[in-house]
Amino acid sequence: MEFEERKLHTVIASEQYLVRLGVKTLLNVIGIESELHEVDTFDELEYFMQNDENMDYLILSEDILQKQRKIDCLEYVKNSFGLSSTILIGKQQFPTCVCDHFISYSCSRKEVVDKLQQFFYAPKANEQQEEDSLTLSDRERDVLKAVALGFSNKEIADQLFISINTVITHRKNITSKLGIKTISGLTVYALMHHIIKAEEAM
Amino acid sequence: MVSFTKNSKMAEIILKNYQLLPIISRFGIKLGFGNKTVEEVCANKNVNAAFFLEILNSYHNSNYFPDNHLGDFNVDVMVDYLTNTHTYYLKSKVPHIELFIDKMEREAQEENSRNINLLKHFFSEYKFDIENHFKEEEKHIFPYVIDLEKALSSNNCTKELIEKIKHEPIEVYERNHDSLEIKLADLKNLIIRFLPPLNCEDDCEHLLTELFQLEYDIEEHTRMEEKVLIPKVKMLEQKVLEYYGV
Repeated sequence: MEFEERKLHTVIASEQYLVRLGVKTLLNVIGIESELHEVDTFDELEYFMQNDENMDYLILSEDILQKQRKIDCLEYVKNSFGLSSTILIGKQQFPTCVCDHFISYSCSRKEVVDKLQQFFYAPKANEQQEEDSLTLSDRERDVLKAVALGFSNKEIADQLFISINTVITHRKNITSKLGIKTISGLTVYALMHHIIKAEEAM
Repeated sequence: MVSFTKNSKMAEIILKNYQLLPIISRFGIKLGFGNKTVEEVCANKNVNAAFFLEILNSYHNSNYFPDNHLGDFNVDVMVDYLTNTHTYYLKSKVPHIELFIDKMEREAQEENSRNINLLKHFFSEYKFDIENHFKEEEKHIFPYVIDLEKALSSNNCTKELIEKIKHEPIEVYERNHDSLEIKLADLKNLIIRFLPPLNCEDDCEHLLTELFQLEYDIEEHTRMEEKVLIPKVKMLEQKVLEYYGV
């Protein structure tokens, strides 16, 4: 790994002391030299994300997500921090979960270590995207979502605070990455990948 | 590529390119040709051989451009053919595709059956689009085309027709003639790239084959409308205006 001047900051978010302790121990095992921050409520995490821009990695235990609203909480994390640098710990990956990284409570020690290693040492998704022509960037996903929901280019530009030309460029890139040209085709894609919900598509 | 002529043997044409099978049936021509030539088969069935050959050749070779032969047949044979093609899509191709999608939906596992349901919905939207597209052509465009030809042959032209040529010529339709293949291409892409693997590969393969064929056929159909019908209609519009001294 390249030497970096600034120390990395990792947030460990869980209600349970034992989970946080376990994660810290394992980070030590794989030799992560990072400033560690612990939070034990979702509100505290929210506060952290809003006020501390130095957060590099988030290790997020499912128990901290508010019950019934897990998806919304994740959505919130995604929008304010991005999910490429988030690893989720939980019982099972919910069908609509958009996290790339996931550790199950039932994983063995070796599996957990492997997954953490992958998480910290794999190139970040947004750095990889230039090469990977099939993955949509976060911004492209936002645009795709708005297109699938039936908004016009002008409306999308207003919503995302970008120019119409930028919207058009995003749309071109989306089409060339996915090979799908029509709005209804894009809507099907968005539904298949849980970018929008069926109720919203109406 | 060598074009077929009126002296080509009908059986050899089909042996060379089986994809022409649906074309001949649209003309009401049935198998069992023996050694008959195109001309003979057409004479038996009362089919305009010049037009039949244009269709066969352009379907067989996408670089074939039937420009020299535009004058060799009347538009009514062409309108007949295009109408038959519409019927073929709606009565034969579309139900086939729906059948395979239904089968796949039944056989797929839970999560995937939801995905297939999305595709089904997408295709029914597409069906609705093409039905409307065809209806519009059959109700407004084709009768107009026939009227033009009648106006020339019968020496009798209504005021409305002249008005229509002036204000709503075929060019308007040409500009708005939207492509019917794009959505089909999307459907193929969704299946090939994004539908999680299925356990009913056979049905999926049939479905894709049907989609590829329909797409090819519709492309060809659109090409006929744009490269043959429209130029011909423009020519007729011009002639009618000249003939009636407008």
